Amino acid sequence: MKKWMTGAVCTTLLLSATAAMAQATVGKPAPTFTATDATGKQVSLSDFKGKFVVLEWTNPDCPFVGKHYNSGSMPATQKDAMAKGVAWLSIQTTALNWRVDNTVAQLQAWQKTKNASPTATIVDGGGKIASKFGAKATPHMYVVDPQGTLIYAGAIDDKPSTNLSDIKTATNYVSQALGEALANKPVSHPVTQAYGCSVKYL
Amino acid sequence: MKHLKSLVVGRGAAIVHMMKTFLAISPLLALPAMGLAQPSVVLTEHVRAELVAYAPQGVAAGQTVRLGLQIQHKRHWHTYWRNPGDSGLPTTLSWQLPNGVQVGEIEWPTPKQLPIGPLMNYGYEGQLLLPVFVRIPANFDAAMLDVKLRADWLVCKEECIPESGEFSLKVPTKGATASHSNLFTATQARLPQIVEGNPTARVDGNALAVEIDGLPPSLHQKELLFFSELAGLVDHAAPLGQRWEGTRWIARIPLSAQRSESPSSMHAVVVAPGQISGMRVPLAVTGAWPTTASSPVGVAAAQPAAETSSLLVTLGFAFIGGILLNLMPCVFPVLSLKVLGFARPGQSRQTLAASGLAYTAGVIASFVALAGLLLALRAGGEQLGWGFQLQSPVFVSLLAVVFTLIGLNLAGLFEMASLLPSSVATLRARHPIADHALTGVLAVAVASPCTGPFMGVALGAAVTLPATHALQVFAALGLGMAFPYLAVSMVPRLASALPRPGVWMLRFKVLMAFPMFATVVWLLWVLGQQVGVDGAASLLAVLVAVAFAAWALGSPGFGPIARAGYGAVALITLGTTAIWAWPTLQSTTSATSTVATGSPWQPWSRTAVAKAQHEGRPVFVDFTAAWCVTCQINKRTTLSDRDVLADLERRQVLLLRADWTKRDPNITQELARLGRSGVPTYALHPASGGRSIVLAEILRPSDVRRALADIPLARTSERSPTASMRTQTQ
Repeated sequence: MKKWMTGAVCTTLLLSATAAMAQATVGKPAPTFTATDATGKQVSLSDFKGKFVVLEWTNPDCPFVGKHYNSGSMPATQKDAMAKGVAWLSIQTTALNWRVDNTVAQLQAWQKTKNASPTATIVDGGGKIASKFGAKATPHMYVVDPQGTLIYAGAIDDKPSTNLSDIKTATNYVSQALGEALANKPVSHPVTQAYGCSVKYL
Repeated sequence: MKHLKSLVVGRGAAIVHMMKTFLAISPLLALPAMGLAQPSVVLTEHVRAELVAYAPQGVAAGQTVRLGLQIQHKRHWHTYWRNPGDSGLPTTLSWQLPNGVQVGEIEWPTPKQLPIGPLMNYGYEGQLLLPVFVRIPANFDAAMLDVKLRADWLVCKEECIPESGEFSLKVPTKGATASHSNLFTATQARLPQIVEGNPTARVDGNALAVEIDGLPPSLHQKELLFFSELAGLVDHAAPLGQRWEGTRWIARIPLSAQRSESPSSMHAVVVAPGQISGMRVPLAVTGAWPTTASSPVGVAAAQPAAETSSLLVTLGFAFIGGILLNLMPCVFPVLSLKVLGFARPGQSRQTLAASGLAYTAGVIASFVALAGLLLALRAGGEQLGWGFQLQSPVFVSLLAVVFTLIGLNLAGLFEMASLLPSSVATLRARHPIADHALTGVLAVAVASPCTGPFMGVALGAAVTLPATHALQVFAALGLGMAFPYLAVSMVPRLASALPRPGVWMLRFKVLMAFPMFATVVWLLWVLGQQVGVDGAASLLAVLVAVAFAAWALGSPGFGPIARAGYGAVALITLGTTAIWAWPTLQSTTSATSTVATGSPWQPWSRTAVAKAQHEGRPVFVDFTAAWCVTCQINKRTTLSDRDVLADLERRQVLLLRADWTKRDPNITQELARLGRSGVPTYALHPASGGRSIVLAEILRPSDVRRALADIPLARTSERSPTASMRTQTQ
């Protein structure tokens, strides 16, 4: 009986997670969320109303993330965006209660070595935020405009590989979207196919 | 990075490694091949990868041999399919081959679903071979085929490791290389088969409504998996809605909320769980993609400009037709009397102009109302399943009857009664402006005995055009009819320029009968294409009976008794003829003659296009119909042009003809996919499956030749099972 109950609960959770995956749509308001960041502060997407916000799904163990950090391109993109008043949230999704403290410490230490300093770093235990946004890969990038509308969802660039040398010739979709949106122009690639490792829901 | 510690063995090291591994792993299998083909193995912590060849007849010039990358995954590890799903990367192969040797794309075996939590990936576990076809040029004379390969793959369990390897292999030209024949044979059985039939896909809200027929019986009534070859389109993890209708599989594939692709055509693989091989389905996608995603790709500019201009031409003709209505004997005298009234002094210019505008508004309103009524009838009729199109033989026959009657009427064989009794025609409104508007309405109705014939032409147009176009055509007709009156009301001096009524009007009316009869000839030819010469002859008989009846019932100068007698005989004749003709007009069994035997043209089907592209041949499709005059002109000029035909042949373009003379939902759907709604349409599909090119409606030889020059050359000189080839040079 208990087993059956657990099964039912798991199935329901999974189904609701799947249903929630379909939420975020470019052109519509971005899903709202509140989470505790790495410093213990409460962070909500609504805190950044009036600013552009970049959400970056990350995972230091993923070679695709490694490509963009070891080359220095992701920290540079971040620095560049934040200099223009953009808020940058780095999010690592882990399984529910998966050594959260450990993950937070490792993530912060790793960011430090890569000279990355986002506005906030969030460990998303159980994938609550990820499922709202439909994040599938690391890196998976989202841009929210000052009105709270999702204006970009997808890959960091147009060269799906782990090859560092591809970065030089790639188009960085996030920089492009921010540049266009800041200049009041329509985003030329509002949705792209994210590539990378899977987001660790389990 | 701890995950990057994977052991990636370079080519030099690989050979040493290879010797050890393969002596250890498969001495019996590999030893006989040792001196012949030099295998190359790369070992990592997660896979054993080997470049293998299969050339049972040796590597002879002009032949096709097979190469492949064999990947043996460690337990729980996987690599990815061409669409990796929600994450991951497909394996890539980059070949270095002697000059002139051509290599195809990877022939991807049917993948597996690899779910991870709420995500879904597509890929392979266990034993895998990614085969390619290699074509040896006719002038190849080396003793060994020297193959070098750089492969990149992403291997994942929960974590992902990008790995790569460089491989080299020398395949002897003489003697068989067949040590991996089992592997190649087993993989051949895992490749998806191309489905025969006409699968369809339609964008339906946030899902893709897919219908596939022609699936093999082994799949029937099974719950199937659907693998889109294109990433960024469907929600990979979402469950499908699916059912079977007999042998037809009907499914709703939910689209990704973050869809980055809006294709007009795509491929998918469907497979029953547990079966090793699926079916590869080419899908032309119809319907509009929901907004918020990027614009459709895949079809080069369909030509909306051409359609706009052809509508403008139609509107122009409708306007001129409207003006001509004024020349009809029962309209012109009225018009000239009214216009001459303008010349009377004492009326202010404003009053005149206002009355002219009111009259125009009245005329246009009546025409548009008439069109609206007709369109409502059409919509109702379509729901009832009536075919108001030139593809329906019954409709073509009805049009022929109508045009015959119009012609006979113009020629003076019979006369029509006014639609409205004259008492109504003399109704006057109190308000002078309203009176003019009413006059406009009445002018349309009162003049019906004469305008009817021309209205018939417009009616014909209205039932064959899209609704908005039909309304515009009628409005233009009305504007044309009101135009002389309007012009004179604005500039009264013009009145003196109008011709006087006279006998010329009657001559003009009869003259107009001949274009009507010419139209009947064309309609008969169309009908002949649809139902054969028997049907056309039956219709001619019906037309004779119709003419007889029109004369008996409508000709002036008959006394009541004579009319009753002749009329009765005529009606009985007409009824009998119609009943006798009916079956032949309905049959659509007779084959159309547009694809004659011995002609280079073959009948179009989506499968034929996919097959040819798969074989490396470009495809030219002529979407045509017997009732389409422009199509016939293009066929006799450009498509018979010697240089065009030579160009097509030199590039080994497969010529397909899609005949839309009769209804064909598959062709309708393909046209929609190309962004067109009718014929003529000319499409050039490159062999590589790249962007299809849609050519101009008025097809000039230079258009075809330029389009041909733009696409890549056909890559194979004969039909071989290779996919599109690309040349690799060192």
